Amino acid sequence: MWKYVLKRLFWLIIISICVAILIFSIMWFVPGDPAQIMLAGTGTQAEIDALRDRLGLSDPYLVQLGRFLYNAFIRFDLGDSYVYKVPVIVELGHRFPRTLILGLLTMIISSGIGIPLGINAAMNRNKFQDQGVLVFSMIFISVPQFWIALEMMILFAVKLRWLPTSGIDSWKCWIMPVLSGALSGIAMNARQSRSAVLETIRADFVTTARAKGVREQKVIYKHMLPNALMPIINGLGNTVCTMVSGSVIIETVFAFPGVGTYMMSAIGGRDYPVVRGCVLMLAIFAAVVNLIVDLIYGYLDPRIKAQYVNYGSRGAGRKGASA
Amino acid sequence: MAENFLEIKDLVIEYTSDESVVHAVNGVSLSLKKGQTLGLVGETGAGKTTIAKSIMRILPDPPSRFVGGTITVDGTDIMSLHEREMLKIRGNKIAMIFQDPMTALNPLMPVGKQILEVVQLHNDFSYKEAVQHTCNMLEMVGIPAVRSVEYPHQFSGGMKQRIVIAMALACNPELLLADEPTTALDVTVQAQVLEMIKDLQKKLDTSMLLITHDLGVVAETCDEVAVIYAGQIMECGSKEDLFLRTAHPYTLGLFGSLPKLDDDSKRLSPIKGLPPDPTKEIVGCAFAPRCPRADEACRKCSIELTELSPGHLVRCIHSGKEES
Amino acid sequence: MNEQAVVSDAAAKARKRKKSMFVQTVKRLVKNKVSLIGFIILFIIILAVILADVLAPCDPEYMDYGAIHALPSAAHPFGTDNLGRDILSRLLVGGRYSLSLGFICAFVSLFVGVFFGNLVGYLGGRVDMVVMRLCDIFGAIPGQLLAIVISTALGSGFINTILAMTVGGFPNAIRGNRALALKEREMEYLEAARAMNCSKMKIVFKHMMPNTIPIQIVGTTMSIGHAIIGAAGLSFIGLGIQLPTPEWGAILSGSRKYVMDYPHEMLFPGLAILITVLAINMIGDGLRDALDPKLKN
Repeated sequence: MWKYVLKRLFWLIIISICVAILIFSIMWFVPGDPAQIMLAGTGTQAEIDALRDRLGLSDPYLVQLGRFLYNAFIRFDLGDSYVYKVPVIVELGHRFPRTLILGLLTMIISSGIGIPLGINAAMNRNKFQDQGVLVFSMIFISVPQFWIALEMMILFAVKLRWLPTSGIDSWKCWIMPVLSGALSGIAMNARQSRSAVLETIRADFVTTARAKGVREQKVIYKHMLPNALMPIINGLGNTVCTMVSGSVIIETVFAFPGVGTYMMSAIGGRDYPVVRGCVLMLAIFAAVVNLIVDLIYGYLDPRIKAQYVNYGSRGAGRKGASA
Repeated sequence: MAENFLEIKDLVIEYTSDESVVHAVNGVSLSLKKGQTLGLVGETGAGKTTIAKSIMRILPDPPSRFVGGTITVDGTDIMSLHEREMLKIRGNKIAMIFQDPMTALNPLMPVGKQILEVVQLHNDFSYKEAVQHTCNMLEMVGIPAVRSVEYPHQFSGGMKQRIVIAMALACNPELLLADEPTTALDVTVQAQVLEMIKDLQKKLDTSMLLITHDLGVVAETCDEVAVIYAGQIMECGSKEDLFLRTAHPYTLGLFGSLPKLDDDSKRLSPIKGLPPDPTKEIVGCAFAPRCPRADEACRKCSIELTELSPGHLVRCIHSGKEES
Repeated sequence: MNEQAVVSDAAAKARKRKKSMFVQTVKRLVKNKVSLIGFIILFIIILAVILADVLAPCDPEYMDYGAIHALPSAAHPFGTDNLGRDILSRLLVGGRYSLSLGFICAFVSLFVGVFFGNLVGYLGGRVDMVVMRLCDIFGAIPGQLLAIVISTALGSGFINTILAMTVGGFPNAIRGNRALALKEREMEYLEAARAMNCSKMKIVFKHMMPNTIPIQIVGTTMSIGHAIIGAAGLSFIGLGIQLPTPEWGAILSGSRKYVMDYPHEMLFPGLAILITVLAINMIGDGLRDALDPKLKN
């Protein structure tokens, strides 16, 4: 098992470096000269050139890439923001925890409510609970998160004046950003878990458990749900990715001082180090979460675990039998 | 009455889907004596599994519906029992072996634990005794007890079926419902598993309802046989009655579909056509559209089971006369 | 002559069988009220968008300075925006961009996924490894985020937005198709094709691909909706398609500044996205039930 974890961690580092190269290369093609933008048209050509030299923007692609990688992965320095002149890593240190908490809260709420809703819907197939969940989730997977966010803002901040429109000064500021992401998260989770439960509800081993004389409730909690939850757990990684990307837009709506707003403001100002730093940070975050989800999944499902751990001669040969 | 351990009378079961009603079982009556084996033979979809599951009362209720009839096991009417009492019977007095060993075991639970679960449910064993019993059961079906901590995916199909059998026999059931226990297995393993079931049955003096579409299996294991078609019994009687004095054209057709070594004919004589649409009400003999002997009378009025000789019942108006 | 008749008869029977399966699916779809409603709504929307020039009450670009930020009225059913342009007309015309973006993105993704997924899945070996590692790298950046970054690099515009959206989504598409291809590879009909000495390309594109595409009908339908939402999101944050092009997300982005005072300018474009995507998802759900009746009962 540990060998597997180490292998995955090693992969994580390799992938991170590749992602860094990828982002750097994409940003290389961004039109517009940061030096020009920074001097806002007031500088002379000589001044612009001087600034370009100082920022290292006149060096060839490979030199710049090498410098970026060296700084990022050896010195943990993502460079200074062109605009604010503050080290990106310092600013991210302030902002990333907020985005992290926002993401975690969103995820906890969306799975904490969505999964039970979906399970309950599947258990009460075609009844009122089921129809309600179906309609709810259908609507909320069809609606853009940022639009929900804006409509909530109109309702709760402008009309009712219950909640502040932006900032993070009090706990109230968190409600709308979390909720606007969580609503579609709940919808997604509910749909997924509903169909996962429906897949297992008729499984043969559930009938076997009933035939053993196990109480219905125990059949559900001991035999059906653990199996139904497997694909749901596996899907959590994906949910996290969706939420990370979603948070970028939601943060801009609420002017939430997280990684997303930082990145969006930097995109407008051609502030390359900031954009690179933010994307790299979010990508590594998503990769780590996916790794954790994979490990948990592998730990819980003996079939997957068997592929990680070398069971020796006995287990290894029968992988095909379960398929 | 008392001598029959299992007694099914006029059982009717329907499945309701979107609009149509599937008549799965149409008035089946069966009886099984203590310690004996009754073979239930028929094509896929004839309603065999439905009968077995309804004895356990584990048919999923929304689609399926118990319409009428009685099922009596050891003098108690199963259908009138409260669910709470039914729980005590399932897995204990009546146990079932399922058709597909690949999917019948919970993939997330070690096999030992799955057997332990049923042992603990129906016995007042201490944990240690229960574990011991579980190990004994595994050894009895020929699986080393050390493997009880392994998960289903680590076993082959035949071994999984042994585990399912160990699970079914763990509480010394008085009635065993074996739903095609060997269909999903290789031929060599089939024989082993069948042999094992027979041995264990003898050891524990269990009555068994063996569902199969394999007449070879019937010949090997059963005392009584019932041939079922479209949810109705076509012919039932002792094994000898059925194999030697076959009376119903459907049963004859089943035999005709088997290859014989001592027969010179180059081709099998399969039954032509398909089973009737179970959503439609049957008028006359259910087998008439495929029957070589069918005439006007067969298609018009419903046909009752008639007794040819004591214990040998046939649902055919032509069976009295000698033809063929 | 006789043999020919037999063969054509068999072919006709096969066609009939195929047709009856299709007919059955359509029948189930129609019976499914949810998907029928979805179909009707989507049909109306598409029709309205195609006939936008006729249906629109005003010229979408005409600025009525006398009616800036007008509330919904008879003249302007959905009101007007900050330049006095009729929102309904802009939504109708903008729907062309939003809808075609959604459809094109979904089908490009499907095509890329099916093409590379099948090829790589069947060929295996080194090609497979290289492509999968590339997918790992691209896939490490969450899709929408990658789309944002690429959109930044490419600048705004219709084609660029499609590129950004599909590059953001292709790692998942290829991975999913490869998994399908790996399953399909073990099927016996491919064994038969190999035994008949079919070329690899012919096996992949003639035998394997037609069998993996139908599995993705539902997913592709749903991804049209996702793409519409995604594209709107990109436009909303100032990337993707930009004003004055009246793409729905761009309209939302433009009216965002006035959300405090004129919330109706936000409401209608959002509803347009909601209803369209809802209709598409309803069809997708109905398709799932129709194609997989097992799940239904």
